[in-house]
Amino acid sequence: MAYNHNHGAQGSQVHAHKADIFCRDETRVDWHSKALWMLREKRDRAAGSIPEWEQLRQLGSEIKLHTLTHLAQYLETFEQNCIANGIQVHWAKDGAEHNSIVHDILSRHKVKKLVKSKSMLTEECHLNPYLEQRGIEVIDTDLGERIIQLAKMPPSHIVVPAIHMKKEEVGDLFHEKIGTKAGGSDPLYLTRAARAHLREQFLSADAAMTGVNMAIADKGAVVVCTNEGNADMGANLPKLQLHSMGIDKVVPDIDSAAVLLRTLARNATGQPVTTYSAFYRGPQPEGEMHIIIVDNGRTEMLKDKILAESLKCIRCGGCLNTCPVYRRSGGYSYNYTIPGPIGIAVGAKIDDTNSIAWACTLCGSCTYICPTKVPLDKIIFHHRRLKAEAGKLPYGKNSYMPLVGKFMASETMLNCSLSVARTALRILPGSLLKPFSGAWGKYRELPVAPNSSFEAWFKKHRSL
Amino acid sequence: MKIALFIPCLVNQMMPEVAIATLELLEKLGHQVILPAGQTCCGQPMTNSGCFDAARSTTLKLLNAFKGVECDAIVCPAASCLVAAKENFHEFDSSPEAQAVINKLYELTEFLHDIAPIPAFTKPFAHKVSLQLSCHGIRMLSLATPSEQMGPRFNKVEAVLANIAGIDIVYPDRRDECCGFGGTFAVDEGAVSAKMGKDKAQAHAATGAEYVVGFDPSCLLHLDGMIRRQQLPIEIRHIAQVLNAAL
Amino acid sequence: MSSKLEILNALKLSALTNHPMPSIDVTPRVENLVGQFETNLNTVAGTLHKEGGLVALQAKVDEHIAQGLQVISLVEGVTANREMPPTAHELKNIDYAVIPGDIGVAENGAIWVNNKNLGHRVTPFICENLILALPANKIVPTLHQAAKEITLASGEFGVFIAGPSKTADIEQALVVGAHGACSLNVYLL
Repeated sequence: MAYNHNHGAQGSQVHAHKADIFCRDETRVDWHSKALWMLREKRDRAAGSIPEWEQLRQLGSEIKLHTLTHLAQYLETFEQNCIANGIQVHWAKDGAEHNSIVHDILSRHKVKKLVKSKSMLTEECHLNPYLEQRGIEVIDTDLGERIIQLAKMPPSHIVVPAIHMKKEEVGDLFHEKIGTKAGGSDPLYLTRAARAHLREQFLSADAAMTGVNMAIADKGAVVVCTNEGNADMGANLPKLQLHSMGIDKVVPDIDSAAVLLRTLARNATGQPVTTYSAFYRGPQPEGEMHIIIVDNGRTEMLKDKILAESLKCIRCGGCLNTCPVYRRSGGYSYNYTIPGPIGIAVGAKIDDTNSIAWACTLCGSCTYICPTKVPLDKIIFHHRRLKAEAGKLPYGKNSYMPLVGKFMASETMLNCSLSVARTALRILPGSLLKPFSGAWGKYRELPVAPNSSFEAWFKKHRSL
Repeated sequence: MKIALFIPCLVNQMMPEVAIATLELLEKLGHQVILPAGQTCCGQPMTNSGCFDAARSTTLKLLNAFKGVECDAIVCPAASCLVAAKENFHEFDSSPEAQAVINKLYELTEFLHDIAPIPAFTKPFAHKVSLQLSCHGIRMLSLATPSEQMGPRFNKVEAVLANIAGIDIVYPDRRDECCGFGGTFAVDEGAVSAKMGKDKAQAHAATGAEYVVGFDPSCLLHLDGMIRRQQLPIEIRHIAQVLNAAL
Repeated sequence: MSSKLEILNALKLSALTNHPMPSIDVTPRVENLVGQFETNLNTVAGTLHKEGGLVALQAKVDEHIAQGLQVISLVEGVTANREMPPTAHELKNIDYAVIPGDIGVAENGAIWVNNKNLGHRVTPFICENLILALPANKIVPTLHQAAKEITLASGEFGVFIAGPSKTADIEQALVVGAHGACSLNVYLL
């Protein structure tokens, strides 16, 4: 189908275009939407089972806000305490510096194989290809991450990264890559095969790397949460462990972490807590533990009062599961590593298609779902304003919006008894209006135009 | 009470029957109703597109239509437009006169629930209705507790309708999931918007209700287009039309 | 300028205004802690053994050993058939690890385990099946209370374990037994 908008130079990459392609297979859209809605329903049950849910959201929001407004102090305290615990701390201002720090540590230890648990930060920094180009084998150990790594795809969701794949597709992939039987697609069978395959990797790894869910300032410890146990299998076998964290991950103390741990898994998958919530407050005996603290655009985000609140996010993925647009457009339509509402919040600024900020109806469901009350709809709305101010509007808005504004403010409106559409037809250039009637009428019946406006009716029936 | 009607451009031009029902029902309840002249768009299509400059003059024109108008309340039968008007008035005019207008703004359901409740209905409305809980009404105007929120629940829309004799109120699956209209979203993101609208229309039809009843004309207009395209056995009605029929 | 300094300087330009630390005061549900714990342990796919204590646990261990399984115990009073090996990797063929838990959390079925009781840190993850022994009087209502009671000294490792390892990464189908233990049995002492 020819998409009849003028999408400009980035045409094939804009969200609407990619979403349009995703939507062509309606059965698959329904399957995708339903799978994610199931997570939303599980979340509702888990959240509803504890009477203090809304109190925890408020506490989560305030704890994060407090930490963000005292970030320098908490980061320095965290670093000092880490050092006292025998942990080595590194600071990276961007993804490139992060990758180079990681590589330096690994090459100093002559690491050939690195096992890695899920970390959206390392996705953001594109660490895997960086290390692979330098001869280090990187094994993603989360099952979903391993699936997409073998399929050479990026994650399509931040908590369930292979949610877009059907079990038959995973079966075919595993058959080809790790030798499972042809046609085997039972999730239990495939998971057990991956367990055996990854055990070998854990046992032969030279170093392990994880992301960080919370960094506890007053203890100098990091908290890592998984359901599969892959982070802890990794970090506790080789003698070298690395943990990458954004500057936004720090919290004051264990009490604060407890608040966030109470909502994280409930909001993500509906579990009361992740299977493993591991606290690392120092390396193993004769081991080495490194923490890399990364900025990569976060301090820039803090300079804008509205965008800053996106740093309260704890990456539970709840906003993706509830988002009616994400569920029907898929994780690959967003032109950013992180999709969905939070992906727009943290990725719109660098989105060169300037379209992801519009992949949203501003319904606000994400904001009410969020366990730390990130005002996602307000942030997305704000991104649109920033894009407009920078003259970076998608979908032809730069040319028609001022005309709409002028038209709506004009006197013509008052005396006209025609429908807006018919009036607009006279006023707006045909080339601008065509896409509208096209995009509307392609999927829906056009409105039945009434005989007169209410204003005209009122004059006739109520005027003195 | 003396009530000034705020009739957004979409209702004025595309759904005058909603405005007429609003006027008639308020009059039946004994209110004096006026229609201040010079109303236009609330600016939402522009601000939702990020174009605040383009929104300024239309917003201020709408605001001026209400400044100095002698009334107790300004009532609007369109939740989303009302929210946008409130925010945009505030954005572009910080004067006490603007604040006075903002303080009088009510969405129709909100007004009938919080300010001037309907003492009694006179006629039955013996129909099954599936309520359309539109996003801005519930998540920005607090007309009902959103499904995401836990704890005590309220629903002003149901409360206003519940006393009508014979009415049978039901909800679609995923009761307050967005219908996919989203203003210019409907054309910018045609495919996703249409899929959301189709799912919503089908969910309403699956309840077996005769009418989809809502408080937001823009969502209803979108659903109407989807319902007719899908040829579903259900029709849209604005809450004002249902209330007016029962008075 | 170092990256650390650059980041700290950039933080001075934050647009956010100071927000106070909230006081964390959440009313706990204190009735029937063992019952709450059991319900939630079941939810996370674990099994609770309330009766019999150490005797029942030892009997179960003996049963496993009689079947030719490799069992390692770190619980005082429970004897098994494997010693703690010098290196972590040698734990790879352990069928059952029996480990003391410090604190149970009623609201989510999680149990706090500290590395002092693990031999190697990897023990509770690498074993095929995990058995935790938890004193019945060490169950607290929520993570707020647990946060006050857990021990995590400088240099240590500790973990809340809630059930066996699991995943739902393939079509949202829950599979118990991902990379960590495939089952969790908890014996109340």
